[in-house]
Amino acid sequence: MENLEKENLRKLLAGLMDKAAAGQMLDDIEKGDEILAGFRAPEPNEQVLAEIKKNVAAALRQKRINAFKKQILVTAAAAAMILVSVLAIVRYSNQPGIPTRMIAASVWEGGDDADVTVLRDEIENIQSELWGGQFDDSGNTNIRVDDLENELIEINGDMWKG
Amino acid sequence: MAQTDIELVIIGCKKGDEGSFAQLVEIYGKRCFGYFYRLSGNRDLSEELLSELFVKLVEKIGTYRGGSFDGWIFTMASNIFHDHLRFKKRQTRLLDEHSKRVMAKSSGALKTDDGDADKLQKALGGLDSEVRELIMMRFYSQLSFKEIAEKRREPIGTTLSKVHRGLKRLRELME
Repeated sequence: MENLEKENLRKLLAGLMDKAAAGQMLDDIEKGDEILAGFRAPEPNEQVLAEIKKNVAAALRQKRINAFKKQILVTAAAAAMILVSVLAIVRYSNQPGIPTRMIAASVWEGGDDADVTVLRDEIENIQSELWGGQFDDSGNTNIRVDDLENELIEINGDMWKG
Repeated sequence: MAQTDIELVIIGCKKGDEGSFAQLVEIYGKRCFGYFYRLSGNRDLSEELLSELFVKLVEKIGTYRGGSFDGWIFTMASNIFHDHLRFKKRQTRLLDEHSKRVMAKSSGALKTDDGDADKLQKALGGLDSEVRELIMMRFYSQLSFKEIAEKRREPIGTTLSKVHRGLKRLRELME
């Protein structure tokens, strides 16, 4: 076969054993290869190959369907998580006894840093939007929860970055 | 087929292109069939294993990360053949004691179900199964001794020695 010829077997064998042994081994391998090349294995008929191509096409279709199903499931799971979060916020915001501040005042005490002050203002602003009656009992809002969530994530990121 | 053409076909396969897979069947179908046939001596089984190989390829093509594609596809073919042997072994365990004894007697030899098996096929039955597979892997995958030794995680001298002994024995059996 093509690659077997490409391989410099003589050189390889010479590096592993003495010249006489390498010569003998090379001769045995070459003669063995000749035998293998002389007896060709039967080939699959065209019908079998056509059938295999059909099976492959079916497997490809199935793979695409599975990928699509997976995508739907991931999207549904993400949507469910967001929905549960929103419902939880709406539910607990209307209960008495829930502190109006989400973050204890002691956390902010003694902080004169300008960046912290700006961030605190932003958080308090969003906090007041959340608690300030912009959600009604039916869950209808006049602000986008996604936007709020994004803002919070952004502020959180800024805080850690300093 | 040029190496770059095969690379293009592989890229197509990775994208899930049906035509590229059909081309892959054309390129490797006969060689892989020959490999399965020489190991099993059974035409029907070889066709089944060949189909299994290409269907598995649809799932696994994304895991191919370059290097010798011949080596990659024949490693998969070898795994499929071994899975088949393991399945057969499990089936054997379910047979009664008498059947077990009968199977044990013939387990070392390559059984040929085709009536018109050639002389080589019969001679291959006289080789140790590991050596037979090694010889067939080298012949059909066209991998070098170095590549085969790396795949088998053994020194190249060991691979060379096994193939040499196997081919020498094969010649004796053919004479």
